[in-house]
Amino acid sequence: MSSLKMDSTMKSEFLLCFLLFSTYLSYGVASSSSATTTMHTNNWAVLVCTSRFWFNYRHMANTLSLYRTVKRLGIPDERIILMLADDMACNTRNKYPAQVFNNENHRLNLYGDNVEVDYRGYEVTVENFLRVLTGRHETAVPRSKRLLSDEGSHILLYMTGHGGDEFLKFQDSEELQSHDLADAVKQMKEKRRFKELLIMVDTCQAATLFSQLQSPGVLTIGSSMKGENSYSHHLDADVGVSVIDRFTFYTLAFFERVNMYDNASLGSLFSSYNPNTLMSTAYYRTDLYPRRLEEVPVTNFFGSVMETIHTDSAYKAFAGKDSKKSTLEMPLQQSRQDLRRTFASSDVQYPTSDSNVEVRSTRFLSFHEFLDFYAW
Amino acid sequence: MVRLRSILLFLLLFKSFGSIIAEEEDQIEQFSEALLLRPLPDRKVLAHFHFESKVPPTRTHGSHHHLFPKSIYQLVHKFRVQEMELSFTQGRWNYARWGGYDPISSRNAKPPGVELWATFDVPQHQVDASWRNLTHALSGLFCASINFLESSTAYSSPQWSFKSFATNIRYGTLPREAVCTENLTPWLKLLPCRDKAGLSALMDRPSIYRGFYHSQRLHLISNEFDLAAASSGMVLEQTLTVVLQPVTLGSGMTSSVGSIQQPSWSLSTLFGRKVSGRCVLSNASNVYVQLEPDLVSELKTTSETQQQSDVGNLISEAWSDMSFEMSESAVRVIKEANGFLKESSLLYEFSLENYSDSRPFDLEFRWKRPVTWSSQLAPLQARRFLMGSGNERGAIAISLKSVGRSEYAKSSVNEEGRCLLRVDVFQVVPWYVKVYYHTLKVFLDERLHSLADVVERTNVSPSEDKVSPGLMEIALRLPCDVHSVILTLEFDKGFLHIDEYPPDANQGFDIPSALIRFPGIKTKMDLFEDKSACKSPILSKLQEESPVLWYTEVLLVPLTTPDFSMPYNVITITCTVFALYFGSLLNALRRRVDEEERLLKNKAAKPSGPIGVLLSKLSAKLRGKPLEPPPPSSSSKVSYKLILRVILVAGIAAAWQYFYG
Repeated sequence: MSSLKMDSTMKSEFLLCFLLFSTYLSYGVASSSSATTTMHTNNWAVLVCTSRFWFNYRHMANTLSLYRTVKRLGIPDERIILMLADDMACNTRNKYPAQVFNNENHRLNLYGDNVEVDYRGYEVTVENFLRVLTGRHETAVPRSKRLLSDEGSHILLYMTGHGGDEFLKFQDSEELQSHDLADAVKQMKEKRRFKELLIMVDTCQAATLFSQLQSPGVLTIGSSMKGENSYSHHLDADVGVSVIDRFTFYTLAFFERVNMYDNASLGSLFSSYNPNTLMSTAYYRTDLYPRRLEEVPVTNFFGSVMETIHTDSAYKAFAGKDSKKSTLEMPLQQSRQDLRRTFASSDVQYPTSDSNVEVRSTRFLSFHEFLDFYAW
Repeated sequence: MVRLRSILLFLLLFKSFGSIIAEEEDQIEQFSEALLLRPLPDRKVLAHFHFESKVPPTRTHGSHHHLFPKSIYQLVHKFRVQEMELSFTQGRWNYARWGGYDPISSRNAKPPGVELWATFDVPQHQVDASWRNLTHALSGLFCASINFLESSTAYSSPQWSFKSFATNIRYGTLPREAVCTENLTPWLKLLPCRDKAGLSALMDRPSIYRGFYHSQRLHLISNEFDLAAASSGMVLEQTLTVVLQPVTLGSGMTSSVGSIQQPSWSLSTLFGRKVSGRCVLSNASNVYVQLEPDLVSELKTTSETQQQSDVGNLISEAWSDMSFEMSESAVRVIKEANGFLKESSLLYEFSLENYSDSRPFDLEFRWKRPVTWSSQLAPLQARRFLMGSGNERGAIAISLKSVGRSEYAKSSVNEEGRCLLRVDVFQVVPWYVKVYYHTLKVFLDERLHSLADVVERTNVSPSEDKVSPGLMEIALRLPCDVHSVILTLEFDKGFLHIDEYPPDANQGFDIPSALIRFPGIKTKMDLFEDKSACKSPILSKLQEESPVLWYTEVLLVPLTTPDFSMPYNVITITCTVFALYFGSLLNALRRRVDEEERLLKNKAAKPSGPIGVLLSKLSAKLRGKPLEPPPPSSSSKVSYKLILRVILVAGIAAAWQYFYG
């Protein structure tokens, strides 16, 4: 009897040990897999204007301004999903056909010759938006309309429109609720569709849209707190409507001083918002985000500046997986540390002097020539 | 015998060799660009860009291309497209002013929005799947919502009225699709020089979209899968047709005759840019200025009358020198040899061969004297409109009015001595407009006519709710001397599910353009030109026969739109009713009447509160009566409580008003 009991206890102990060991193993596997995904590989941007009708011109101008900025800072068109709920540029009410302005000085046409709109008009729905985020499309949907991000992607999600307490209106007929957004983000996290996600929202009561988010790696910023409105910046008498919202205007004012090779940090962007000029309080939620904002350059989300890894020799095509990994990761981590060091050493100064820019850009001359959207 | 055979063999060999040499020219990729400019009678200018890429078939040439766009090639191979046309249009072609009887209008006047049709080289049951995938691919390629055409409610398969002898065809339109820069840019990216060099460099987006009409078209013919026929590979034709208003600088004054001076224009005033040389990858790069037949005859007659008064001798070209001048000299002037029209149109050809950055091509066309003319019109002018009122039913009417020219009669079908004009009508109606096809009525010269006399052939497939649109094809045989024809069809307006309404449902729903086709009347230009000179593709296109077409207006049908906030209202009202019901029910169930009475009695036995006592004392003093204990009735007490409550509520309301109002 006693021996039997002993046996059972032994068994249970063994089982417990096994369980513990297996959990430890799985934890180790998980942690190692997460360790391999820490590398930031690419940048994506999803820019959404959810408002229809002419009087919402400013929302489209907001989105297009951001589109221009991220393109200028290096995210290519195939990695930008642009959703515009209405056609403002060739609208019959537009006095300036095929042009959209975000300032009454009309110095910059946001709707240049090379705008790639992926979803437009009636296609901008909550369903399509969630499909883009979660990647659950019909098979026939072309690649240009998909968010093909991976576990190393940094995604910028910018939304603008009319919103309220925990919702954002789409096309004046549907609503995206904070729960929907949180679910989609959670799904994205589970599917390893992003490494870090920055959600930037310019609507009334934007902060409420983030209340349900739980996924790690998500950083959010909204133009206003609960109970606050987000206001437009100024009216253009020629166009006849307001052309930009305050929050986006001051975001752009910040980015005007930034070029691709600046180390301006997200912290400096977030602290640049002045509640008096915004007429609302910009709210940001960092509890899900692991890194310190002062250490994260804005180009991690608003641009695409990749670390170049120098390899002494060509890749061995048929080398074993592990050996390849180790050779690959060594220089990577070094360069990463180097990068950190440069961030730490060089205090971010504004406005950046032109000479500084010149020195840096000589190293990237080919890039520089390649990207000819430079003059802001 | 053997010798004869060998000779025959030799001959055969020789012949095949010769044909190989002849084919050699077709065996390379070719690209050509051309721009045709034409002054229009209503002081506007038509600019028609024409780009053509040709590629030999894959089995002889391989699948590697230098000029032909890869994306289109892949599209053709993936979906086995035989022929495809995609057009993006904004504005309506003004058939009455800009012409409806010339090759350009019959090919390039398109319905507003997006029109797509395609034929596929696949078995019958796979056509729909191919179409669906094609629409998605095109929507990704051209940044438009063409994928809305994948739904079976959006496309149809016309049998003979849209295109004769077409099998496996699918046709769909999106009348409300916006057309803007994002659609033009991918279209330009298909060109080998994009918009960086050659004629496409003229395409300044603001000046193009400022125009009255613009239509960008992509037409693809492929014989890739046709193994039997002498295969010509793939031909991709891209055209952009724009109607622009020249910026007038001080001109526009009326002359002594009373006719208004036409505005002078140049490429730089129309587009704000100049052409700095040709696209080096193109075989031909030409600019044409076309003068319409009526304009030519008008200029000739007016100059003749003036010339006769001055000098007797009449130089053949003097009439043109007198009425207008062009800043560049034409390489050649091509005349049209037209059979039955009195006068023929003229084409001035300019070559971009000798122009460069330092010496850009900027053609200027200056009118010297006022002139008025009119364009060539289609035999019948079509209009379509809605009849009836209310949100329940209505009728569609298509009216065809004769322009009163007899010359078309010659070209129309002659049968048993009667002159007959054939007209095909093709119309697709969305399912929520339920057309009753048995109500079709035909009025000839405003008199009801029996269908049997007029209608030659019909093909109707009625709409099926949420499955397929209604398709109507009618071939009419009209007497040539008819002045007006009106077709009417009645319909009921259907209801949509609440999810199916677009966000701007209150604006109304579009019925796509109907297509009126005159299969008996073909239009083409017979150009006198030397055959030895390399033929420009735009000229050969103009010389191809094409039937005269007319797209009618898009109709806007207001449907009953529900109050979209109604569900919300229903929910709130229902909730209120339920709350009231359950509240009172619970109250009734929970209340114990006898216990409450006992409680009241207990309270009544006790003296009332200090305030009550004080109040009763005060009233007693005021009345000068000794204090007497309050009567043991609960009524006064109740009223006192009631007053207190009312005061409390009023106080709260006032405070609310003060703080939040």
